Amino acid sequence: MAVIITEAPAPARRPVRDRHHRGVSRWVVLTLVTLGALVMLVPFAFMLLNAFKSPGDYSSSGPLSWPTEFYTKGLRTYWTEVNFPLKLWNSALIAGSVAVLGVAVSLLNAYALGIGRVRGRLWIVGLFLLANMLPQEALIYPLYYVAKEIGLYNTQLSVIIIFTVIQSAFGTYLLASVMGTFPRSLLEAAALDGAGKWTVLWRVVFPNLRPTLAVLLIFFFIWTWNEFLIPLVMLIDNQTQTIPVALASLQGDRLMDAPTTNAGALISLVPAILFFLIFQRTLARGITAGAEK
Amino acid sequence: MQRFRRIVAAIALAATATTTVAACGGGDSEDDSGAKTLKLWHYESENSAMGVGWNRAIEIFKAEHPGVEVRFERKAFEQIQQNAGMIINSSEGPDIMEYNKGNATAGLLSSQGLLTDLSAEADKRGWAGKLSPSLQTTARYSDKGVMGSGNWFGVPNYGEYVTVYYNKDLFQQNGVKVPTSMAEMTAAMDTFVGKGVTPLGMAGAEYPAGQLFYQLALSRADRQFVDNYQLYKNPVDFKADPLKYGADTFAEWVRKGYIAKDSASLKAEDMGTAFIGGKVPMIVSGSWWYGRFKAEMKANWDTFLFPGNTLQAGSSGNLWVVPENSKAKSLAYDFIDITLRPEIQDLIGNNGGVPVAGDPAKISDPKDRKLIEDFNAVSKQDGLAFYPDWPVPGYYDVLVGGFQGLINGSKSPDQVLDTIAKPYADGVKEITGK
Repeated sequence: MAVIITEAPAPARRPVRDRHHRGVSRWVVLTLVTLGALVMLVPFAFMLLNAFKSPGDYSSSGPLSWPTEFYTKGLRTYWTEVNFPLKLWNSALIAGSVAVLGVAVSLLNAYALGIGRVRGRLWIVGLFLLANMLPQEALIYPLYYVAKEIGLYNTQLSVIIIFTVIQSAFGTYLLASVMGTFPRSLLEAAALDGAGKWTVLWRVVFPNLRPTLAVLLIFFFIWTWNEFLIPLVMLIDNQTQTIPVALASLQGDRLMDAPTTNAGALISLVPAILFFLIFQRTLARGITAGAEK
Repeated sequence: MQRFRRIVAAIALAATATTTVAACGGGDSEDDSGAKTLKLWHYESENSAMGVGWNRAIEIFKAEHPGVEVRFERKAFEQIQQNAGMIINSSEGPDIMEYNKGNATAGLLSSQGLLTDLSAEADKRGWAGKLSPSLQTTARYSDKGVMGSGNWFGVPNYGEYVTVYYNKDLFQQNGVKVPTSMAEMTAAMDTFVGKGVTPLGMAGAEYPAGQLFYQLALSRADRQFVDNYQLYKNPVDFKADPLKYGADTFAEWVRKGYIAKDSASLKAEDMGTAFIGGKVPMIVSGSWWYGRFKAEMKANWDTFLFPGNTLQAGSSGNLWVVPENSKAKSLAYDFIDITLRPEIQDLIGNNGGVPVAGDPAKISDPKDRKLIEDFNAVSKQDGLAFYPDWPVPGYYDVLVGGFQGLINGSKSPDQVLDTIAKPYADGVKEITGK
């Protein structure tokens, strides 16, 4: 008996005008968007350019020059030296678990706060937000200490738990306000039909929030994927480390190897981009969901 | 880097809290003679001089200790720099690792009881005899974690020092000879300026400016000054020579065009690539560039010691340390001993590194040999004067800010000395409690 809120019938449509008759503003906007997109792509272009350049070439002609040869040793060095497949698996495991668990925890929290309307929910939400706003540098030592005491230091589980909490703090805040506007009539109707709290969550609320949850899932995944400090501190064995930490191992004390770093960044970026492309449709749908209400 | 420095500060603060915890931990792990694994960490890249040398050392260690498994992991510099205290305070840490020398790093951990005292081993195995006094400075720390005296907490394998790299081709084209005194050095730079070439590559946004200032100051300094400045033996007057001379001369070099005004915002990497690309004839910087120049530079180049100085910025390289929680201490000592053998030391030298106990006669490449002979000369006459940013935590950023002002001309030498004097005095007060 899944109930989906159907969109209100669209008001009588305005007559469709010829798209070429909307004036110059259209073109201005288009140009600006294109320019903006190009500016955003510049750093990636540099990365791409320098990933295939030999260190000597980079040092003598600088980062802007066209590579004199197609140099792939940087890519290969990075791949083998840091054992990239293992790091990829670690990152995927951690980011994937956090995304799923974080969304689940957010949903349950937000159900209590947004629909259950528990007493003092504003303060609770505020408290959750605090977890998100605190700089991680301030959290790191207590986290280290607790992890060490309970034997989770240097395990991926510790990082998964920490990020599930941090991400779900934001998720709770967002979902709680979304659920605050959930149509009461729908909930009452479900209650009249004899649905318990669990059924309401699972059969009424969840299906309607699915697009939003999908977006949260993707955000949690990408945010966790890119996290650096906490994995750096918590995961000290090369066997457990994530991709951003591996990337940092290319940076020495006083020397840097720009082409290899670029090559590493390129390889490390690919999984996140693939993930984004695959779920990009969901993302667009989720962001616009509710825009018509 | 900036972001990390802040984090480092935060963690260092947090790490001091570990002191009390750590104090209870030590002392019960002496019985490790039966250890069957050696967990070894370092952060040198595979092809660097140290990377090559230590790979060989691991092979030798395995051959001499059949049945012992060496679990080597190459770590990120970043990770060790930031987390060493937390890592070795847990049971997950390594049995032996490479760690940064200096008060803020090895000194801090030794004062917290996290590192093993190596004094007995140093005596027994004759490590002290292999290292000159100025190399030992960074290996020994007092109970407050101040380097220079006290027990051995680390053993260096290689050295580093600031020298002058010059582009032979550019020297030849402009008819400039390699200078052997400060007067010849300024004359050489005048020649370049006369031909419209900026003679000295510089990077105001990172360490090179502070190191050049320090080199200039050292030309008027003696060992007493270094002890005062680095080891807090006596108060340092920033408004008197040698520091005043250093700042004044630096400003003069900027005024005369030896140093480009627009180098205030450049990074060390920019300076290095400018030299590799043949855009500047000279840079004053450390031996850590050597391997890279050798691999990447097409023009002819060589090095000469900063002319006229008996003291040079430089020190031992990073240290081997044995954490107090190490489960294989005697194996760790054996490994350190292997890395100090002539075979490994010469291997480091032949790969462009500066071994602490190397024999120049065993080095085949003449340029490599020159680098090592220069270092040995400095080290033998007790000439390693460490680095200007070492004395107090956070001083690196102070120096960078100060000398950026001097390069772009927004501050006078006097103002710069004022800027850098106060944080120094405050920092020293905090450390010595005086």
